[in-house]
Amino acid sequence: MSLIDRVAQELSRLPGIGPKTALRLVYHLMKRPREDAVRLSQAIRELADRIRPCKRCGNFSEGELCLVCADHGRNASVICVVEEAYEVGAIERTGQYQGLYHVLGGHLSPLDGIGPHELNLQGLLDRISSSDGGVQEIIVATNASVEGEATAVYLEHVVRPLGPRVTRLARGIPVGSDLEYVDGSTIAEALTGRREM
Amino acid sequence: MRLSELQVRHFRNLAGQELDLPAEGVAIVGENAQGKTNLLEAIYYLETFRSFRAARDERLVSFGQEFFRVAGVLMEDGAGGVVGGGELVEVAAAFRARGKRKKVTLNGQEPQRLGDGLGRVCAVVFSPADVALVSEGPGGRRRFLDIVLSLNVPGYLPALQRFRHVLGQRNAALRDGRRLEAVHAWDQGLVESGGLVMEERLRWVERWAGEFSSHYRRISGVQPAVLRYQPGVKLGGARDREGIAAAFKEALGETRDRERRLGATVVGPQRDDLILTVTEAGEARDLREYGSGGQRRTAALALRLVEAATIREARRQEPIVLMDDVLAELDPGRSERVMALMEEEETGQVLLTAPKESDVRLRRDSLPRWRIRNGMVEC
Ligand SMILES: [Zn+2]
Repeated sequence: MSLIDRVAQELSRLPGIGPKTALRLVYHLMKRPREDAVRLSQAIRELADRIRPCKRCGNFSEGELCLVCADHGRNASVICVVEEAYEVGAIERTGQYQGLYHVLGGHLSPLDGIGPHELNLQGLLDRISSSDGGVQEIIVATNASVEGEATAVYLEHVVRPLGPRVTRLARGIPVGSDLEYVDGSTIAEALTGRREM
Repeated sequence: MRLSELQVRHFRNLAGQELDLPAEGVAIVGENAQGKTNLLEAIYYLETFRSFRAARDERLVSFGQEFFRVAGVLMEDGAGGVVGGGELVEVAAAFRARGKRKKVTLNGQEPQRLGDGLGRVCAVVFSPADVALVSEGPGGRRRFLDIVLSLNVPGYLPALQRFRHVLGQRNAALRDGRRLEAVHAWDQGLVESGGLVMEERLRWVERWAGEFSSHYRRISGVQPAVLRYQPGVKLGGARDREGIAAAFKEALGETRDRERRLGATVVGPQRDDLILTVTEAGEARDLREYGSGGQRRTAALALRLVEAATIREARRQEPIVLMDDVLAELDPGRSERVMALMEEEETGQVLLTAPKESDVRLRRDSLPRWRIRNGMVEC
């Protein structure tokens, strides 16, 4: 296999990149100055070497602890539980949340052989127990999918006996969208979860 | 609703043709294996984007070809119920064997999801194979309910899909012998989606059971028959979604040991059935077990007539009737009465097939005749 094909094949394993796009990216890299490609490869190399899961919460991290866990200004009495580490970024970008996180690394899916033991769950229970009542609220931010819901129910079941209150992200109409184009089950959810004005 | 134009390419033995269909319908006459049923199958494909004979899409592509395509121009009924007096809709479906790619368009636009294109052709198929609805296992009757409700009740199909998805996960958790809590994490999703499915099935049966009985009586001449919903959960009188979901939840609690032992969820709409009975000598007899051929065919016809009535009510369209040589196997008395009933009930377009000219009895004076030979229609 030619070197060009080899790089293209590696690229085409990335999500959303087919064989044609991969080839186009390779040709593009070869047309640019050499330093561009070297810089990219170095960044990828460093990423692979240095990023690892945070020891406490499972978030992407360059050290033992991620930037959130290492920040003493954060509110340690609230933990927001997400399925994947990249979802931490989505919540962080809102700038609205001051608490900590916990990354499960997926959701319950028995059809794929994923049960509670395959998730980073025990870590969460340990964090709660060892805080001696310091953790007062668990916000369950798993996805609104069938699997995310089941995972939320399971979490609630195992967390509540340890003391903290368990809350779930509200669901409803996406901001900026026309009601006409929102699907029926979302509208139904939003109706059930309506609030006083 | 009327089908005014139909284009078919490489669909089973139909090589390729463009047809203009008469407003009142047409009788398609041809020997066996010439393509009569294939033509009806192609038309109904535009309604559900699958074969009503449960054939896989790959099997529908003509031998030696790479794709098939079916397109129809429909005239919706206008305001005040003028048949064919409303808007024009073009529905097309194509399937390419390589990569199993299916493409559906409505007026040339691809809908966001395939599901959004479902149910645009308001048609009902009457087929000799319908007798299996009555004589065979509950799976076929649930499939019948699911198709009718998916096409006519908004929200039913997503709920059904969600239910099947959760059921698969829950059964997998049971098979794994996971901790109890890991199984019960799925209960909420199961009873919510399953509750909606059962509510709509119950409501449909209650709405149409009376009509089913009267159609059955009209065709059979004498006997009354009863259509009943047998839920896969003891509902104990619950009727609305919340009540049904609560009954479902309770039933799950009562069957914990059994489902663990069997590694599968043993209560729920996946166990639903429709019970069809006739009363003979004061006794209710299940048609599935005790019915004669004629009784079963009559019950199947009555179910299809109720399907047509559902379309009329839910979609406010006069359904296109596709009759595949369905009278052939009824005794003369019954088929006379079916014809009379159809004349009265079905005022829309009728496309019927028959092996011989002399078999075309329905609307014999008014319906134009086409012949079909080797997959080619001669108009
Ligand atoms: Zn961390």
